[in-house]
Amino acid sequence: MRRFTAEELASYDGRDRRPAYVVYDGKVYDVTGSFLWKGGRHQAMHDAGLDLTRALLDAPHGPDLLARCPQVGVLEEPEADRT
Amino acid sequence: MAKVTREVVERAGVDVDQLLELLVKNASAELTTYYYYTILRVNLIGLQGEGIKEIAETARIEDRNHFEALVPRIYELGGKLPQDMKAFHDVSACPPAYLPKELGDTTELLKVLVEAERCAVRGYTQICNMTAGKDHRTYDLALAILNEEVEHESWFSEFLGEGPSGHYLRRGETSPFVSKFLK
Repeated sequence: MRRFTAEELASYDGRDRRPAYVVYDGKVYDVTGSFLWKGGRHQAMHDAGLDLTRALLDAPHGPDLLARCPQVGVLEEPEADRT
Repeated sequence: MAKVTREVVERAGVDVDQLLELLVKNASAELTTYYYYTILRVNLIGLQGEGIKEIAETARIEDRNHFEALVPRIYELGGKLPQDMKAFHDVSACPPAYLPKELGDTTELLKVLVEAERCAVRGYTQICNMTAGKDHRTYDLALAILNEEVEHESWFSEFLGEGPSGHYLRRGETSPFVSKFLK
């Protein structure tokens, strides 16, 4: 499975017809085809190209909805976080 | 626009532009759902379909009421609705509630209905969370709509056999929670 750095992920922001990817719990999901992620934006408050693990804690839904979208990779941990 | 209304909400710490975007998206979801439910309702036929037609009709009418109740609040806060109907449809907070491919399959139709209601429940929960203790009027409105959306979800969920819904038979007119905003 493809590994993404945070910088690579940021380019998948869904704008200008680019694909829209988001991360939850280290998994990269392709939300490009989701009606709820048109233009890389979700419910006026979340942007694609980012790790939304923390944001999902406050969302009115769980990760199960995100898991309906295809997983296309995993997010590499920053070097500082590796032990 | 009600200038002081917007000002007090901003001063309470609400991002009013973000709130307005959410209100417009949910207003769109209500109006488009009203449209799609019109099509779903007439396709509820046969012994199974006719049994749920009445609640589908009530949900349809109440979703239209939700749209009409949301519009004044959007304008009060200084927002506006898109001029183009297609643009309005495309910003909806919920996906279109299309007819399932198998028209005679009432269970598939119920799944479309319950998914639409669950999306609405999430949307108004989000608005309530944003406005609780900060924007009393929007909170009151979103909570009223949420109460009706929860009932809609319960009705359809019960028909899918997901478990007892806990609700009682509706009495009286439609929109028992939202009607105060329509007077």
